[in-house]
Amino acid sequence: MSKARGMVRRDFMKAGAGVLSAGLAAAKGSETPYPSKWYPFTEHPESDTCWSLSVGPDGRIYASSCAEGVPGGVVKPVRYNEEKDKLDFLFNLAEKVDDPGDTGHATQCKIHYSFAPSMSDGVMYMATHLSGPPIDLPVYNPWYSWHDEKRLFRGAALLAFDTRKDQVLWWDTLIPKEGCRCLLHDEDRRLLYALSYPRDHFFIYDLKTHKRRDIGRIGSINGQALFLDKSHRVWTTDDYGHLVRYTPETDRLEVSPLTLPHPIYMTGWHSVFYDVAPSPDGECVYASTWCPNPYLMRIWPNEKPWPRVESLGPATQPRDLTMPVDMFLDHCGGLTFAGDGQLYYVASRWHDPVRNPMPPPRKSREGVVWRLDPKTLKREEVSRLEHPTGLAQYVSRGAVDHNGDLFFGHVGERPSGIFKVSMPASRKRKNAHLPIRMWG
Amino acid sequence: MQNKPRFDRNSPEIKAYLEDVAQTFTREGTLIAFETCMPGMTVPIPLDESRITALDIIADGTIYGGTSGHQAHLIVACFRGLTGLVFDIGAVEGATQCAAVCCGAKGVVAFVNGPKGGRAVSTKLVRLFGQDFIQEWGVRRPAIEDQGECAPGEAVVDAVAVASRKQVVGTTTGHVFALDIDAPKPRIVGEAPGKGKIAVGSRGGVFGRDEGDSLWRYDPERQALERRAVKLPAGDWSQPLGWAADPHDGLLYTADAQGQLFSFSEAGGFSAPLGRTMLKPVGPMAVTFDGRLFGFCGAEIAKMFCFDPQQREVTNLGVAASIIGRKRYGYVFGDAATGRDGELVFGENDNGGHLWLYFPRIKSRA
Repeated sequence: MSKARGMVRRDFMKAGAGVLSAGLAAAKGSETPYPSKWYPFTEHPESDTCWSLSVGPDGRIYASSCAEGVPGGVVKPVRYNEEKDKLDFLFNLAEKVDDPGDTGHATQCKIHYSFAPSMSDGVMYMATHLSGPPIDLPVYNPWYSWHDEKRLFRGAALLAFDTRKDQVLWWDTLIPKEGCRCLLHDEDRRLLYALSYPRDHFFIYDLKTHKRRDIGRIGSINGQALFLDKSHRVWTTDDYGHLVRYTPETDRLEVSPLTLPHPIYMTGWHSVFYDVAPSPDGECVYASTWCPNPYLMRIWPNEKPWPRVESLGPATQPRDLTMPVDMFLDHCGGLTFAGDGQLYYVASRWHDPVRNPMPPPRKSREGVVWRLDPKTLKREEVSRLEHPTGLAQYVSRGAVDHNGDLFFGHVGERPSGIFKVSMPASRKRKNAHLPIRMWG
Repeated sequence: MQNKPRFDRNSPEIKAYLEDVAQTFTREGTLIAFETCMPGMTVPIPLDESRITALDIIADGTIYGGTSGHQAHLIVACFRGLTGLVFDIGAVEGATQCAAVCCGAKGVVAFVNGPKGGRAVSTKLVRLFGQDFIQEWGVRRPAIEDQGECAPGEAVVDAVAVASRKQVVGTTTGHVFALDIDAPKPRIVGEAPGKGKIAVGSRGGVFGRDEGDSLWRYDPERQALERRAVKLPAGDWSQPLGWAADPHDGLLYTADAQGQLFSFSEAGGFSAPLGRTMLKPVGPMAVTFDGRLFGFCGAEIAKMFCFDPQQREVTNLGVAASIIGRKRYGYVFGDAATGRDGELVFGENDNGGHLWLYFPRIKSRA
């Protein structure tokens, strides 16, 4: 055990070159050129989480004001209004899809990594996820209630929102009885891809015919992201950290023999994708895993027969290897490229009396914004997110808007909301969101 | 406006609900899911080729099975001694579904469907038990030989080895066939609609669903097929039949489309309804040594049930979950068998299907 501990710490130190010095520099105070600002979901006070944040086809930022822990809770999509520097609440999605929160069924409570843009017509697709309890019950368990017609979640609703006219064009049920864990749009082929929860099935929705197909189960733990390669193949992960690839020509799901990077003391189990950001040149993607001790990696999906996967090391800090760290504490998400060609993401940092004391006035948990140079793979801490409660370690998704600023969705302390992290003027670029990410 | 919650968290109803929800998975006993490989040494059968739809077990506890999907595979597994693996005997050329696997003393016959029709294929038994899969091992992949169609142009529905394990009786969509395991060329023995599983009765007769809510009976010794030999009891028989046999006395169990359980013996016929499962349809079932019947019911996400003939009650054992070794939910199952020591073996009929071993809760002394 002691050997493993030592190796993991070395692994972290090597991969995170410059981490400590950069961290200390940032700790000096508000000198960061990346100031952050908090935007609570004030018009939806029941909201408890923001599971999705994406840039729309119009270059503006969309986020999901979710209410997953609230009986009868529903999701309301919001959009950042750059003229007024505030959030606009677009609509009550549950009402738009004729499934309001008081039906007695599990509710349309959230959008979970399931915004997907359509550039040709300015539509933002969004799909809902489950877990919000019926209005007269304290919790909802989809396995328990699978056969309960009175309580069952109706299904993930797919909604097409015209960002040019601010109008809901249509909706449909994307996945009956299940939630949509993540969504992807292959615009060339007019196909949406989704992963279902709880059964972890891979679905294809044809936007031309409005028909869905269930390609089958992957495993037990959803990958939290899908991504698309140049050959229109769709990628995700299985429970054991293998890549899973759907090839339209064969209509099959295949599992890679390789396992995604993970700490040597772990097996790869639960190393599923958390977040995946495309490189602007489309040749590779950057990903983090949804697992304690999450790893960063770079994947080259166009290489054959299976992608080359480069480990970029752990995203968070050393820990006691005998302790299963809380997954809401140990987290890395919000991966996005900005106008300066650098990858930004948010990784958590927390108080550990031995390995990371963080004495006051430092908070016990921090959401640290990192900048990674894809050429050198050097990482630098550039900012810390400041939530009203001071705790902001769990970022769900990140995106850059058409003005070149960073935005991050946050899950954790209430009130729920999003962060804007202003980019230094020298690093900003108009239409920095292009080429746009086609998945949530 | 957000709706206000409409319940009292301290009410007995809500407390009972929360307690029940906490028992969603595997309420008693232990389920262990085992992947289709030698863990840590080999890779499992491809995701969409590993839906386990057929099982049989030989006397030493070795499990044989067949999968369905993009390609059908034959598998052998052992969990005794120093084994602990599932070995992929191989994919059956041109087959996408395995309807049944039947073991004899030296060989295995599997019944597969695909573009080439419903066929019998055979292979030799694979010796796993007795080897040391901790230290050093060696396994050879035996050839799979095609034994031809069972009935021209018809898919195989099911097949069973008779008590002597020298002969197999099977059914296609239109015929009953038989073959000798040591010389496994199928021969048609009669005409009958193949609707669901077939079973060996307590006196050695083979029974399958016939027209008009009845069963046909095939006598392996006399090689005689009797149509409409047994009338099914009152019930909803609109779905294909499934069966489980008590290894102690050969008593059979089946269920109607509404989940009503019945027992059947060749001497005494069908019982009155014994109980009703929580969900329908009833899937694969098997009986352990003390007479308890275990099975799955419900579509898409099945729940496990137990029928205890002593208590004459059906209990809900929850959704299958494996937490030892592989962590996995089990949703859809294709076949079941009783293991050597009374454990139950379930084949998972899903992508990435696993063999599931169930060790029932040991009953308390009265």
